[in-house]
Amino acid sequence: MTTAFNKRLLIVWVILTSLTLIYVVIDRSVDGGTLRASTVVTVSAIVIALVKVRIIFREFMEVRHAPALLRRITDGWVVLVGVCLLGSYFVGSAIAP
Amino acid sequence: MTDLAGASPRPEQLSDEHPKFVPGQPDMWMFVLFETLLFTGYFSVYLVSRTQDREAFLGAQADLDLRVGVFNTIALLLSSWAIAGCVQAARNGDYPSALKKAFLTATFGVVFLVSKIVEWVRETRMGNTFTSDEFFSHYYFLTSIHCIHLLIGFVVLGVVIYQLRSPARRSQQLVETGATYWHTVDFLWVLIFALLYVVR
Repeated sequence: MTTAFNKRLLIVWVILTSLTLIYVVIDRSVDGGTLRASTVVTVSAIVIALVKVRIIFREFMEVRHAPALLRRITDGWVVLVGVCLLGSYFVGSAIAP
Repeated sequence: MTDLAGASPRPEQLSDEHPKFVPGQPDMWMFVLFETLLFTGYFSVYLVSRTQDREAFLGAQADLDLRVGVFNTIALLLSSWAIAGCVQAARNGDYPSALKKAFLTATFGVVFLVSKIVEWVRETRMGNTFTSDEFFSHYYFLTSIHCIHLLIGFVVLGVVIYQLRSPARRSQQLVETGATYWHTVDFLWVLIFALLYVVR
């Protein structure tokens, strides 16, 4: 049982690391020397980070075995953080001089 | 009248092989959710600020090396993986393995801390200080406040290791509470990394 659990944790770590490495691919594909503003990169970066946070909650922090209340609260928190981050970016962009 | 609804178990209870439990102390979860909100507030201020002067932020951000951020993230993900293994080993009564994994967690934490300090020194030498421009004010603020959380994490790990070392002191709830805190340090960095190094 321990081995099965550890294999699952390892798979989770590999997925989280792969999602981190996607950033390198995004970074290389959009900039040719100088950095340029990009809504697609910003939104992708935030969404990928939120997916990673949810995986950490569910798997590493064992929320998937937790009562429904904690599962719903943590999921709600991921959505709340997402709304705040994307909202700040888009509202900021809309009011930019 | 017979209560049929109360007599029959709910499908989700039947299908799940594990009993439902809150990992660690509920108080720690309150703290985690509160800290996440606090950091989200900082992140929102940062995102609004950068949209007001994109060129200045992009110019300063170009001095950050994405590879350092990726290395930092992988080091903290490794530490989270190790502490998750520590919790499971302790739950199964394999305390030598749990102790080893707790030390491994601290080692990856130190790797993160050292690489962060190296990056701070490098940026300072390039002329990027707390007061040099708005991007680096946010950079130093977010990375240093995160590092304070990491340092508190080392104290938490110390308590976990102290508890695991003696059979008289062992408490599974305390190990889980410590792990919950450590994972929070990890996922807050996941967000900080995306916002400082990748967002354009």
